[in-house]
Amino acid sequence: MAAFSTLLKSFVRNANLVKNGAAVSNNLLRPNTSNALEAVRKMSGHEMMHIKPSRWSWNRFKDLLNFYVMLGVIPATVVITYINLFIGPAKLAEIPEGYVPEVHEYYAHPITRWMTKHIKKSYQQEYEVMCQHIYETDYARKLRIAEKRVHQKMQEKQDSQAYYYEPVTGRNERHIKSMLEKSVDYVGTR
Amino acid sequence: MEDPPRAPAHNPFFRFVHAVQNTIDRPVTWFRESVVTPNRPDHVYYHQKFRRVPTIDQCYTDDPVCRFEAQQQFNRDKLVDGEIVQLVRQRLKECIAYEIPDQDRKCAKLKEEFDKVSESFCMKYADLGPYNNVKDAYMKQKHRMLWERRHGKVGTGMKIEE
Repeated sequence: MAAFSTLLKSFVRNANLVKNGAAVSNNLLRPNTSNALEAVRKMSGHEMMHIKPSRWSWNRFKDLLNFYVMLGVIPATVVITYINLFIGPAKLAEIPEGYVPEVHEYYAHPITRWMTKHIKKSYQQEYEVMCQHIYETDYARKLRIAEKRVHQKMQEKQDSQAYYYEPVTGRNERHIKSMLEKSVDYVGTR
Repeated sequence: MEDPPRAPAHNPFFRFVHAVQNTIDRPVTWFRESVVTPNRPDHVYYHQKFRRVPTIDQCYTDDPVCRFEAQQQFNRDKLVDGEIVQLVRQRLKECIAYEIPDQDRKCAKLKEEFDKVSESFCMKYADLGPYNNVKDAYMKQKHRMLWERRHGKVGTGMKIEE
């Protein structure tokens, strides 16, 4: 039986496969073995170096893929198998009188229960947060509408000392008048 | 959950079939009953019951929190009612599959029940468009009642006014 695999290996080594350095289907690009200088002397007669493109990166890729996949797959398999065998899903039961169950007691599988207990926000929490958010934004909206109506009234009636009232002072006018008086001395005219 | 117990086989053919099934079943059952089940803790889970909140017809027009709660209750009720329709429909399907070709005679009661249940479901939830809205459902009811006031029960035809 082992002989067959060596036969197969030698067939693969000598055949025109891509990994042995043969181009895909083009006769012109075949390696010119008659004139090529080989880097090794054919001294021994059995084990000869085969000149072919490097498979180092492909092999390294396969190694890394295998390593990282197994790094996740093996612990996950062990943990999930243990949980399913020795903890197991819960059974359905009626809610006892006067008892308010915790949120994580509404789910069957132990992993779902754990996630609901430690990671996820409960339906009730999100619901109440949403209610509060709606209340606050609606409050702000109503305040803005009221503010707008107050501004409109102020604009119509012009009777309150607020947004639409411009207080008039004489200070600037007096200053300009005094500068005009002085400018006669400097410039000779107003 | 548990499989019903198998009837004892007196027939040698069935005895052989049971023996073949037992080569896989017995070790697995032994493993589960002796190793797995005793080591499992006894925990239970419940089905959540939601409190009833005021529906959309009891909400003020400027109260968006009440409207949000009515919408959530509407969504939950829609899921529950959908499941009810599914159960009734499943019963009808099983009856038809079992009783074919006599299904018209033997499943008549179940068919009537299913027709009634699906009619009430469609009256409340159907034809509202892809984005459901509790206010649209409420308006649908209002329009139906107006139409019934003018033309009689739905299904008896429209009265053309001269």
